[in-house]
Amino acid sequence: MSVLLILEASNGKIKRASWEALAAALRLGPAEGITAVVIGAQTEELAAEAATKPVGRVVRVEHPLLAHYTADGFCIALQQLIQIEGTTQVVIFAHTYQARDYAPALACRIGQVLIGDVVGIEDGPVFTRQLMQERLNGSYRHSGGGPCFVSVQAGAFRADGIDAQPKAASAPITTFAPTINSAQIRTRPGEPFRGSAQTVDLNSAQRIVSVGRGIKDPANLPMVQELATALGAELAASRPICDNGWLPMERQVGSSGQTVAPKLYLAVGISGAIQHLVGMKGSQCIVAINKDSDAPIFEVADYGIVGDLFEVVPALTEALKAAKQ
Amino acid sequence: MKIIVAIKQVPDRDAPVRIALSANWIDERDLQWAMNEPDAYALEEALLLKEKAGGEVIVLSAGPERVGSTIREALAKGADRAIHILCDDLSARDALGVARLLAAAIKPENPDLVLTGLQSEDVGLGQTGVIVAELLGLPHSTMILQVEKIEAGFKVKRELEEGWFQSIELPTPAVLTMQSGGNNLRYATLMGIKRAKTKELRTVNAAELGVDIGSVVMLERITAPIKQKSTQILPGSAREAAAALVEKLKTEAHVL
Amino acid sequence: MRAATPLLGRRFRQVKFGKAAFLVRPSSIMTALLPNLAEPQNFSTTERLLFLALTAASAYGFCRRFWPIVSNILHSKKDPEFHLFPIGRRVHDFVWEVMIQAKVIRERPLAGFAHALVFWAFCAFALVTLNHCASIFGLGFLNPAGRVGRFYFDFAAVFAVACAVGILGLFLRRFVTRPRWLSEVSWESGLIALLIFVLMVTYLAAFFVPGASTAARALWWAHTITLLAFLPVIPHTKHLHLLLSPFTIFLSRGGFAEIPPLADDEDFGLVAGKDLTQLVSLQAYSCVECGRCMEHCPANNTGKLLNPKEIVLGLRGYLNEYGPASEEPLLGKYNAQEAVFECTTCGACEFQCPVGIEHVPIIVGLRRGAVNTGAWEDDHGAKLFLALERGSNALGMSTTERDKFVEKNTLPLFDGTQEYCLWLGCMGAYDPRGRDIVVALVKVMRHLGASFGVLRKEKCTGDPVRRLGNDLLFQQLAEAGLEALAQNRVKTIISICPHCVRTIQEDWKAYGTPPQVEHHSEFLARFVNQLPPAQDHDKIVFHDPCYLGRYRGVYDEPRSVAALAGELVEAPRSHERSFCCGAGGGLVFLGEEKGQRVSHVRADELAATGASVVGTACPFCNTMFQDAFAAKGEVAPELMDIAQLAARGLPE
Repeated sequence: MSVLLILEASNGKIKRASWEALAAALRLGPAEGITAVVIGAQTEELAAEAATKPVGRVVRVEHPLLAHYTADGFCIALQQLIQIEGTTQVVIFAHTYQARDYAPALACRIGQVLIGDVVGIEDGPVFTRQLMQERLNGSYRHSGGGPCFVSVQAGAFRADGIDAQPKAASAPITTFAPTINSAQIRTRPGEPFRGSAQTVDLNSAQRIVSVGRGIKDPANLPMVQELATALGAELAASRPICDNGWLPMERQVGSSGQTVAPKLYLAVGISGAIQHLVGMKGSQCIVAINKDSDAPIFEVADYGIVGDLFEVVPALTEALKAAKQ
Repeated sequence: MKIIVAIKQVPDRDAPVRIALSANWIDERDLQWAMNEPDAYALEEALLLKEKAGGEVIVLSAGPERVGSTIREALAKGADRAIHILCDDLSARDALGVARLLAAAIKPENPDLVLTGLQSEDVGLGQTGVIVAELLGLPHSTMILQVEKIEAGFKVKRELEEGWFQSIELPTPAVLTMQSGGNNLRYATLMGIKRAKTKELRTVNAAELGVDIGSVVMLERITAPIKQKSTQILPGSAREAAAALVEKLKTEAHVL
Repeated sequence: MRAATPLLGRRFRQVKFGKAAFLVRPSSIMTALLPNLAEPQNFSTTERLLFLALTAASAYGFCRRFWPIVSNILHSKKDPEFHLFPIGRRVHDFVWEVMIQAKVIRERPLAGFAHALVFWAFCAFALVTLNHCASIFGLGFLNPAGRVGRFYFDFAAVFAVACAVGILGLFLRRFVTRPRWLSEVSWESGLIALLIFVLMVTYLAAFFVPGASTAARALWWAHTITLLAFLPVIPHTKHLHLLLSPFTIFLSRGGFAEIPPLADDEDFGLVAGKDLTQLVSLQAYSCVECGRCMEHCPANNTGKLLNPKEIVLGLRGYLNEYGPASEEPLLGKYNAQEAVFECTTCGACEFQCPVGIEHVPIIVGLRRGAVNTGAWEDDHGAKLFLALERGSNALGMSTTERDKFVEKNTLPLFDGTQEYCLWLGCMGAYDPRGRDIVVALVKVMRHLGASFGVLRKEKCTGDPVRRLGNDLLFQQLAEAGLEALAQNRVKTIISICPHCVRTIQEDWKAYGTPPQVEHHSEFLARFVNQLPPAQDHDKIVFHDPCYLGRYRGVYDEPRSVAALAGELVEAPRSHERSFCCGAGGGLVFLGEEKGQRVSHVRADELAATGASVVGTACPFCNTMFQDAFAAKGEVAPELMDIAQLAARGLPE
């Protein structure tokens, strides 16, 4: 199977999600058939990194106009590459924000349709993706001639198994210089920036650690803050905590505060009264820590730990720090 | 400024879904329908732009008869007129097929801006807007939270991973796919509904648009995943439970 | 007794007791105490002309102000669905509230009685005043010496004394004691009090002067001038209520907190002056500024902008400036949108109003005007509306949560054969505490052997959106609800939530015929004899929910159920004076409130009774007090719904 694996880099390193896409690609065929692609203006180091992985070859798509990501630049460059390659059967991406921005356009230029956000690959190949807010699975198949475009959901395939795969010492690297002129790049991207550091923006936080009355004393908040930091999460609270002034009102989650829907919501010492629930029930994954096994929060939680939060929270912080290693 | 907002009517998010007997789509009987939420944000952004700079907001949607109610909701919220592409087999088409229909309806209108939601709440492909841009030969950007009209076109705020954002400038006309949460949705009002009665709602049959309906990608089968809905209580000491939790969050929930 | 001696042309007898002699009219009891009323005779033509001129001036002063007011009222929009008949209720209310002054007295006994005396005096004086004016032309029809005349004048004199005492008391109250709800010192009230006092005094003094004397004539003119000064003052002040409030009470809608239907396609509620109906305009002009509405308003008592008195007076100010045909927004110069959205619709204002002003429909009408036109921009409000536009419940929860609850507690599904349909409502289905109440009620119902079932699917009754004024959404919910009930062949509903009960029974009527609905306290009260009392005897204070008490008149049933679990004590403000928990009017779904929290004020009041248990009959009251007590810490009383109190005595 001739697979074109498009790697994405961030801060000079290939993203983990791209290696997960490699793991997915290895399901489709052996490493020899996989051509890893790095794109940019300076791709030497990226290519070297890619060459150490179980891939058949590495292609550097390099052009000054590809220094910053633009949909036009990447589409033009990759379309030319695919044309030159000629025999590609599958083009595979990690399903990142960037890939979502240009891969469908690229596929369209080649008369194809992306099968995006794939969570499983069966023989066929048949690609599985989730429908109806992850309540159903759909099996997709590509038909007709031309390459099949696939993007792979982050975390659906494990990247850590790759290095154990048999591979050649180092894959050969070639360079391809696409023809792009600046008039073809129609969008002007600016520098990335963070949301304002001053204001608390719970709405855009991907992870939130929320405290309730179980915390008992404001002196115990630093312990929870440590957990939040280890998790890369924002700190939030239920109403009584904000009422007491232990945390500012902007951090209140609930019917009279903010409504949030992060990927991960960790409720520490929160009982789960309705006024709080309505503010966070949309969270993708809810974890509850409470010493009362009957606390209503456990009804909506995906994972729960019934225990003393003064023991569980530090233990969790430790475990997270260890996992980062 | 002429803005076209492409919206989709999707099954109500909270309702339980059943798989159809044919197993290649869901059973649509007894379903409640609603406007796709990211599309609602797209509509709101369009209305805000119109309120600021004047112009016309046209709502466009493809689907069967029932889609009319969602279109009227959009008119009630402030869109000026609507186009309904009557199409009974929307779920059988792939993203390219749907995008072709939309592009064919958009092209003669020559809009300054096309907005649509980032992805739909049912199939969630997140591609239709991008493909429409490609078919129309227009520049595009995705995951947009805010749109601002500037001299040269548009300046938009795009969401990046991990809490980062980016400003992008595009010329006009352009296509943008909108992320939820960038603005505050307005509620439907009685006055809006009354006014909507006199607004133009043009229906065009999908066949009239003369697009190629062949599918490149086929949705063969739908299955229900073996997913536990109940809460997993992690047992053991604080240390054990914590370690187990981290493992689950990484491997099962994919949030770490 | 000696023979009758003529004196002043009237027949008197001399009565001697020892050395004292009295002139007595044999047939008059009052003769022992009161001489005849002195009536001046022989007015000159000059005097008569002067009288006519003054009367004309007074009448002109009166009409000049009164006519525009009447015009404003008559030119207002007609009330849709207003029916004069059945008239029995109207007559009853008129007699009870106007003639007997029942509401005035009941709610503020001392001041109310003083006012009643003044009012009855006015009624009693009707003929006196007529006779007084006729007498200058020699057309007086009441003879001060005649039997009828004497009786009538003496009768009026009693009232005059009572009135003078009453008005003096009220004057002292308004100007010396100065309770909060009478607001700023009002010179016009002082003037009125003075005029009334002078009227009474000049009348009474006339008994003690000789008939043909200068003094009598002076008193006559003093009385006349005071009277003619009083007349034009009436329409210029709140004393307009003298003329209007009997009409206001007679013509009131009749229900309590009854929200009128929208008239037609162009009616969006009270947006501008042209939307004010005749009833609303009449009510706006009837306000006596007594401040009873303000005194009991939970928002006003906790530092909010809302003041129900000012809402009504604001409408009056608007009408005076812009008139009933104006396009100027009502929420502008005279009333603020912010205030209007602070109302919990508890109804304490309307319940108290002695002149029949219906505050709740006015406030909801103003909200309608803001919401139906999209002028109300509120994050939480929009969130509530959007949640109900798309979903089934006001909390925005997934229906699978309700399904899980029903399944977990093996609640039977309603299939048309059971007697009762148990309506869970949003709180009963999704709120943990609401669910506990349902579980307790189900336990009791099973013990009683009652046959019931819950619907497979429920949508919110629409109470919060109805009170917030979103007619589009409410119509959708009401119609969907009625259809669901009809399809499921529901005949009788039991609900744990007074809001659901009210909305289904009353507000849904605009869109169909709802089945019978009752609150679970009414159901339980019927079977209270079959329920074993609990062993532990706590002191229980029952909090009357607004929508069960004032709205439905149900006070005793929940108490009889609560009594199963302990000894009842009453909060200082109970029954129809119960102080709101703060959740109503859709406010529980809106953001943080300004000032003190209403729920905290009431919770403190309940806790101060020393009760160890607070009994509730509404899941919203329950949740509000839970929050309030949680802020207090460990020493708070236990919070139990009456269903839970009833279940206490049951075996496990």
